[in-house]
Amino acid sequence: MRIEVRDAHKHFGPVHALGGVSFDVEPGRRVALVGPNGSGKSTLNRILMGLVACDGRVRVDGRCPFGERVAVARRMAYVPQAAPQIGAPVGEMLGAIARVRDLPHARIERTARAFDLDLASLARRPFRSLSGGMKQKLLIALALASDASLLILDEPTGSLDARSRERFFELFEALPDATTLVLCSHRLDEIRPLVGQVLQLHEGRVAYDGPADAFLARSGLAALDVWADGAEAGAWLTQRGFRRGASGAWHVTVESAAKLPLLADLSAALGPRLRNLNARDLEVIELRDGDVRDA
Amino acid sequence: MRLAEFAAVARLDLGEVLRSRWLLLCVLLYALLGGVFVLVGLRESSVLGFTGLGRVLFSLCHALVLLLPLLALLGTVQTVNRARDDGSLEVYLSHPIGRGAFLAGVTGVRLAALALPLAGVMVAVALAGSAGGQAIPWSFLGRSLAVCVALLGAYVGVGVATSVLVRNPARAMTLVFLIWTVSVTLLDFAGIALLLQWRVSPQAVFALAAVNPVQTARMALLSSAEPTLATLGPVGFYLANRLGANALFALGLAWPALVGVAAWLAAWNAFRRGDAV
Repeated sequence: MRIEVRDAHKHFGPVHALGGVSFDVEPGRRVALVGPNGSGKSTLNRILMGLVACDGRVRVDGRCPFGERVAVARRMAYVPQAAPQIGAPVGEMLGAIARVRDLPHARIERTARAFDLDLASLARRPFRSLSGGMKQKLLIALALASDASLLILDEPTGSLDARSRERFFELFEALPDATTLVLCSHRLDEIRPLVGQVLQLHEGRVAYDGPADAFLARSGLAALDVWADGAEAGAWLTQRGFRRGASGAWHVTVESAAKLPLLADLSAALGPRLRNLNARDLEVIELRDGDVRDA
Repeated sequence: MRLAEFAAVARLDLGEVLRSRWLLLCVLLYALLGGVFVLVGLRESSVLGFTGLGRVLFSLCHALVLLLPLLALLGTVQTVNRARDDGSLEVYLSHPIGRGAFLAGVTGVRLAALALPLAGVMVAVALAGSAGGQAIPWSFLGRSLAVCVALLGAYVGVGVATSVLVRNPARAMTLVFLIWTVSVTLLDFAGIALLLQWRVSPQAVFALAAVNPVQTARMALLSSAEPTLATLGPVGFYLANRLGANALFALGLAWPALVGVAAWLAAWNAFRRGDAV
């Protein structure tokens, strides 16, 4: 499904949630929607789903999602970050959704089984009584089973264990190429394998809209833990932004690109006073203020 | 609005209603009222011209016109705003479920959940009375039930509208208690007090009372009886003499139903045009 957003504005009373957002997503593209809390990601998701009205032009496959929400929703699936507190038993809830989507129950069962969920044993349990991970797996299974042409996923693997996350990536790989994805995430392990384009929002405006590789290269983070002896070493580390933890180790988080030069400086400056170090890339991205593009 | 969407929402909400204690509370209250009036009323002598089973049903209906608005408001005031709060509305509306279907499904189930047990209890009261050898006043029973359902319709509509328009559930709850308090106090006697205290014109007082669905329902319930000042109250007595019993009954059916439909349409309009979540 093609997404076209032109000069979208949204106010909630005095709060300017979106201030002139414009972007395009071609059919079959996979886009990560990133930005700090309050940057407008959820509002934009809701606008694309037709749940929230806005000023400006928004089209999903040529349709206005707010005015033609049901028609758009037929070809779209959504997984929220926080699972809703639905009191209905799992079987009742899935049954209702399957009916409105004309979705064979067997297909949901098959997808759920991929996440080690046995729907028959869960059918009578209230949805809200399930663990966070199980709720998330159920909602993902439902979304993937729906054959939607547009998937809107908000931090979909946040509550999943490693095995389920792996299954999610496998199932996602199996989706048709024509499926468009909008993924809200801060996690590199989600963004890296799933998307080719990144749309960064900052204070309701587009701060970056471009290839994922370029974005990740400048937004990756690395963490360094250093154990060193002597006050002189401490002074040098403090000057470089390290902070001493309770265990005696010095910690700093830097951009991925700065990791190797810093390691070289460390060994040169501290020499034998350097007792140990641990450097690792973080699976989160840094959300800095970007150059806000003129909308 | 597709029937499948309406049916899916209605089924989910029916499950919610059946699981909640609210429905149980309604049934218990209806049964308690019916039981008390059967036990006490059938043994009493004629009061205000009503005797035996007729008096039991009359007393029951009188209590119900005060209770039904409260039950209807409590049963509907958190249908939409709570679903907004807990995220379920966002998830349901991310599927092809129209907003009209959602609102209609929830409203229909809540109205049925309030009206059907009421009908059951009223028929049970009549049958209990007939077991003692009394004839069942079917006509009065049918009229009373129709008026009670119209009254429920009015406050179900108002409750749903409050739930859509007031996003904060606590504020919505406070507002419906206020609406109920005004509805049950702005009957004849409060109206007359207004008239005497503030020298409001009688026409204004009568109009104020007549726009109150509780008052019109109450007058309609009494319309089948002899229009006396003691039973109808000053406003009811005035309107009964002006309009006649049949018109009073028609007003008692039509006006609450109209209020309910108007409130529901206002809710639907706001729900359709505004942000769903």
